[in-house]
Amino acid sequence: MEKNNRNIKNEIAEKLGDEVLRGSLGRFAEAYPAARAKAYENVADVDALREQVRQMKIATVAQIEKVADKFEAEAKKRGAQVFRAKDGDALKKYLLDLCQEKGVKRIVKSKSMASEEILLNHTLEDAGLHVKETDLGEWIISIAGHKPSHMVMPAIHLNRDQVAGYFSKELKQEISNDIPMMVQIARQNLRKEFLLADMGISGANFGIAENGAIGLVTNEGNARLVTTLPPIHVVIIGYEKLIPTIKDAAPILRTLPRNATGQLMTSYMTMTTGQTPLMVKQDGKWVEQAKELHIILLDNGRLQAAHDDKFKEIYQCVRCASCLNVCPIYTLVGGHVYGHIYAGGIGAILTALLNSQEDFDKINELCIGCRKCVEICPGKINIPGLIDELRSKTVKEKGLPFGVKAVLDNVLANRKVFHNLLRLASIGQKPFTTGNVIRHLPLFLAGMAKDRSLPAIADVPLRDRIAKITKQMVKPKKRIAFFAGCNTDFVFPETGEAVYKVLQNLKMEVVFPEDQSCCGKPLLGMGDRDIAKKIAKRNIIAFEEANADIILSSCPTCTETWHETYVDLFAEDAEWKARAEKLAHKFREFTSFVAEEYAKAGRLSPAAGNTKVTYHDSCHAKRGLGIYKEPRALLNATPGYQLVEMKDCDKCCGMAGAFGIKYTEISMPILKQKITNIKNSGAEIVAVGCPACMMQLQGGLDKQAPNITVKHIAQLLADKIKD
Amino acid sequence: MKKVCKNWKQAFPADNIGAALFPEFEKRAQGAAAEVFRVKTAVEAQEIVANLAKFTNAKKAVIANSPLQDAAGINKKLQEMDIAVYTDVADIAEHAESADIGISTIEFGIAESGSVCMDGYAFESRLVSMLPPLHIAFMNTSNVVLGITEAFEIISKVYDNGYISFITGPSRTSDIERVLTIGVHGPSRFVVIAIDEEVVGGSI
Repeated sequence: MEKNNRNIKNEIAEKLGDEVLRGSLGRFAEAYPAARAKAYENVADVDALREQVRQMKIATVAQIEKVADKFEAEAKKRGAQVFRAKDGDALKKYLLDLCQEKGVKRIVKSKSMASEEILLNHTLEDAGLHVKETDLGEWIISIAGHKPSHMVMPAIHLNRDQVAGYFSKELKQEISNDIPMMVQIARQNLRKEFLLADMGISGANFGIAENGAIGLVTNEGNARLVTTLPPIHVVIIGYEKLIPTIKDAAPILRTLPRNATGQLMTSYMTMTTGQTPLMVKQDGKWVEQAKELHIILLDNGRLQAAHDDKFKEIYQCVRCASCLNVCPIYTLVGGHVYGHIYAGGIGAILTALLNSQEDFDKINELCIGCRKCVEICPGKINIPGLIDELRSKTVKEKGLPFGVKAVLDNVLANRKVFHNLLRLASIGQKPFTTGNVIRHLPLFLAGMAKDRSLPAIADVPLRDRIAKITKQMVKPKKRIAFFAGCNTDFVFPETGEAVYKVLQNLKMEVVFPEDQSCCGKPLLGMGDRDIAKKIAKRNIIAFEEANADIILSSCPTCTETWHETYVDLFAEDAEWKARAEKLAHKFREFTSFVAEEYAKAGRLSPAAGNTKVTYHDSCHAKRGLGIYKEPRALLNATPGYQLVEMKDCDKCCGMAGAFGIKYTEISMPILKQKITNIKNSGAEIVAVGCPACMMQLQGGLDKQAPNITVKHIAQLLADKIKD
Repeated sequence: MKKVCKNWKQAFPADNIGAALFPEFEKRAQGAAAEVFRVKTAVEAQEIVANLAKFTNAKKAVIANSPLQDAAGINKKLQEMDIAVYTDVADIAEHAESADIGISTIEFGIAESGSVCMDGYAFESRLVSMLPPLHIAFMNTSNVVLGITEAFEIISKVYDNGYISFITGPSRTSDIERVLTIGVHGPSRFVVIAIDEEVVGGSI
């Protein structure tokens, strides 16, 4: 476990103020998506390829012991010695004993995150061994005394001047900051190390059960030298890297380099099994001998994860670190704030499972659930989903802080109390202050807002306007029960009114079940499933009683919560699960439903217009519900508007739930970039399909681009309907 | 020389392989900063090697022999240029580190990624491709497979024991400021010479 007195806020502030880090991460984040896309240009079906990786890995973890046994047997058959290390201590003991027995003094290492995970180098050095990392980035951070800040580019937080400084100190001579020169100096220095080493330690990108081979990808070629020159080779491999057959390496190698570095293949891909021959000089003569090969299979929490229904998903990770490259948080703060060794979303999960849950708890909030990572992960890992699981594990074991728990129990779980408080807030609130609005209202009530001003609560909530806006329908086409969600009900009732107008214009009857409350998503984000269940049940009852053909929401987050989370919540409660599923089938998101109905009515053909409007994809709509074409079709069909796309239209606006409030300093740069992209699009209006994004964007626009307005698509459609 | 497989060609598939795939292989290999020469006959390859040796001012070459290279007569040619040529495993072990050129023959190319697949079971085949600053790889033009998937279909048939590598361009790093720099631990130049002519016993 890491030290307990970490002040994450201070660490973040320091990283945000680190211009070298911000600059290089910013440039990288900018360049990465295009580089990756280019690398996949000759892959016909990227999604099918990712699915191939996923399926292969799922099948493997389901029989991990069998695969490991086979791997061990095949490796042994070819002369390797295989040791299964329960944890870091066991591994270290094996290795130190081996070094002593063989008289090993000098070791060269090629990159192994597993060895970093157990802080192996410290142990080896403390035992008096001469240990050199040979991957350039790893060598740099090892002489700098840093931890890796990225799994693939460990020294991305340093610039050439800093590297030159560390080189000068290490080599005790003045080294200039010329990059090619520094690379040559590293080559010369490390070449000696390779030639003199008694032992090479490598990691493995995969281990093949079929013939006991391990595979390594590198660009520098250091892994080839580590596995070739020293007379002893030690492989440290985690169970999650095992694959059943030789052919199974293909999908990994088709995705890993493309995702990691935008390369079709790394410069070197090396596979080795058995005791390969090498030449050693004895008494001035070169003689051939068989290499001594030791393979250490590291458990350290991996096998437990393999047998967990949810967490076995980490076996789908190929360690390409692409999830870091697209993470709005990682690309701002870098890897070190994640505490242990693994960074980013997947890093947070690995830290929890392979290091300690306590270390995860400290940084669990550094995921905004935007799912950019899920979209590109070669193994299709639901990283935000696993982080939610870990959060709920902590809450289940330790509970929420007392004050927060009390508020949630007494306020949120009780609709009337909650809504009364919201009404009171509308009376007592301060003037609307930009940049200070809060995405999920209940969190404010949960005391998470701290020094933020109140959100702008509407004078009259939607629920009190229903009687006025409801039209009586004779023979309606459908009966729709509207689920407003907190934001539409209490902050943007106009959006709710617009929804009513659009649906009623389609000859639909719209009803508003009075007993509806918050969908519960904010609670789930905090890991409290018990209260979320209570709220879910109440909402389910309210909408069962509404007896509607369709349930509809203009909030994608609420929609997704109904679609998936409610069903998941009651996974072990057959009755409630069935009830939740029944309603989930009826539940529709506004833009996709209306686009469908407009298409049926012949109202979805493109229309001309001059007012430029750009569309911001909400994370939950785009990556949760897969809805991004429909809102655009609606905008294209609305007379008077011209749709223009902004850069990174589907990148998170930066204020997911508690995150934007607790970590304003991270949320604001994300928002600022979003506003810049909106401005550069030349649009006068930003259309959104999500009231939560609307709240965040409104705050940002007021401050940075007051002449641009943000509107929910429902409003843009309603504006064109005559009363 | 020890090999993972004495006759890789036996494992080649009937489809998705052939000289028609060479242009795509060439493009992708060049995209990874490999230098690619295609010649009709083995004899023409000799001149390319001679020129490379001349322009790099080479004094010493370490060579893992193959029938394809023999057909090109490169060892003799280099010796005529007063270049020290080492082909014995012990000599290679002694001299690879200080050699200017390493030469070997690879089994096949991969069009998808511009990689070549090398049978690296023999210690000397690895040294010649790793330690000198210039690695020249011989191949047959027709030995190009479509993709990584096809490559692994071949490998899965022959790979029981030993060492296999893909090589895709020269050694590189972007570890300082993400600036691409060629030639870290491996060669800074990777040259592929593809020969159209089928040499008997070639590509072994």
